[in-house]
Amino acid sequence: MSGENTVREIGHDEFDPKGTLVLILIYFVILSIMWVFMYFVEFLGNDLSVIA
Amino acid sequence: MNIHNYEKIWLVLAMVMIIGFISTVVYGATAVGIEMISDEPDTIDSTALDEDDRFSEPRVEKVGDNEYEAYVIAQQFIFRPDPITVPANSTVTFYVTSPDVIHGFEVVGTNANTMVIPGEVSQLTVEFNEPGEYGILCNEYCGGGHHTMEGKLIVQPEDEFEQGGNDE
Repeated sequence: MSGENTVREIGHDEFDPKGTLVLILIYFVILSIMWVFMYFVEFLGNDLSVIA
Repeated sequence: MNIHNYEKIWLVLAMVMIIGFISTVVYGATAVGIEMISDEPDTIDSTALDEDDRFSEPRVEKVGDNEYEAYVIAQQFIFRPDPITVPANSTVTFYVTSPDVIHGFEVVGTNANTMVIPGEVSQLTVEFNEPGEYGILCNEYCGGGHHTMEGKLIVQPEDEFEQGGNDE
């Protein structure tokens, strides 16, 4: 992989994709909030639920 | 296998999330008591509904303290009875069937919603607390008049509710 233009080589564990991690965490937070809203507010809060 | 630490984080989070989804649904089914539409009632001869005790005369019937049963026929392109009248603060079990094609029975804006299949009786129990009015509509395409197929569900204050207000 090392070519003439390689400035610095790092190993597998030295590369930390912080931006990707932050994006994924934000995505997880959005999913959790949306799930709570959808299930507890929109579904359980929607009267006339089938109970039997 | 070499898994990066960050990857471990989001793999674990994804698992936690799946467990969270499953446990909320389990919570709804057990603690809150949300049920699926029952397929327990026996099948029925869809060509002879008028010979059936329940459906020869679609109606709301009192079966206990604050407990009612509503026998409803969904057919091209009406619901019978219309309106369906029930009292507030009651538990009502709907039995819905069809003499012709597949229909839908949806109390608009609520979770009370089922498919109505000829030969089958859809059973759903719901609780009515406040007086009010709901629309009912068919949400399965059932023919040329499908878009006009609607009904009304009236929840009357307890003291105004007359037993047999439908056709009796």
